[in-house]
Amino acid sequence: MSLIPFRTKRPTGMEPTSLATLADFRHEMNRMFEGFFSRPLPTLPWFDTIEPGQWLPTVDMSENDRQIHVRVELPGIDPQDVDVSVSEDRLVIAGEKKSTAESSGEGWTHRESRYGSFTRAIPLPESVDPANVTARYDKGVLTVELQKSPASTSRRIPVTTAAK
Amino acid sequence: MVTTTSPARDTAPQPAAAGREAQTYQPTVDICDRGAEVTITADVPGARPDGIDVTFDDGVLTVHATVPARPLPGRAVIREYGVGDYRRAFRLGTGFDASQITAECRAGVLTVRVPRLAAVRPRTIEVRG
Repeated sequence: MSLIPFRTKRPTGMEPTSLATLADFRHEMNRMFEGFFSRPLPTLPWFDTIEPGQWLPTVDMSENDRQIHVRVELPGIDPQDVDVSVSEDRLVIAGEKKSTAESSGEGWTHRESRYGSFTRAIPLPESVDPANVTARYDKGVLTVELQKSPASTSRRIPVTTAAK
Repeated sequence: MVTTTSPARDTAPQPAAAGREAQTYQPTVDICDRGAEVTITADVPGARPDGIDVTFDDGVLTVHATVPARPLPGRAVIREYGVGDYRRAFRLGTGFDASQITAECRAGVLTVRVPRLAAVRPRTIEVRG
């Protein structure tokens, strides 16, 4: 019998789940060390991207000469609960996945989904026009389309041959 | 107790159609047993309701969701997830009413409700004084 190979939707590396685990770990270490030292462990900058108990959605991003596309899997979320904000070099997607009636209450429960609030700050490869951004939510997938700032649009420079 | 499984007759992952990403994923699920029914909610972002098959055969509930490819234009900068069909099977056992199973898909979440046969539902027995 061959089972369908389980492949996580997340690749290896600095994945959101390990960030969450690391955040929990840091919290636990801080709690331990506070008994020995007067101040908590020094904080690495990327530790601050997630608080204990939060989760991070996964992201795909692509770019062409004029646009940047970002696609985030956010199943089961009310679009009203998603906040998309853009600065020149950063896209921040925040929101909350609310626990459904099915996943709470009496009885036996096996739970794999993560619920609660999330904040994902995504550095953008080039500066964009914050006034020209569209966001669309369809079938559990959020797609954000950003227009690059005219100044940062890459320009093709023709190579000329020296005149004889 | 519901166990997640692949049926024995599932010998291999389904070959994907040409031009599609060949990978099939197991969706993240929540399973709740409330006595009168078992509810399975599966995250299937990108799946259209008419592309989802839910079958119940010999105590095994199988969910298969077809996910159309959605390539992003341009060159990839970040790729954290793959896009492909979802498939997962659950061994529920006996005592369920297959004719009353319902399934709905909203915002990329599939909810399947599998009610127990009335004869096997938990009952509270009134004690007379």
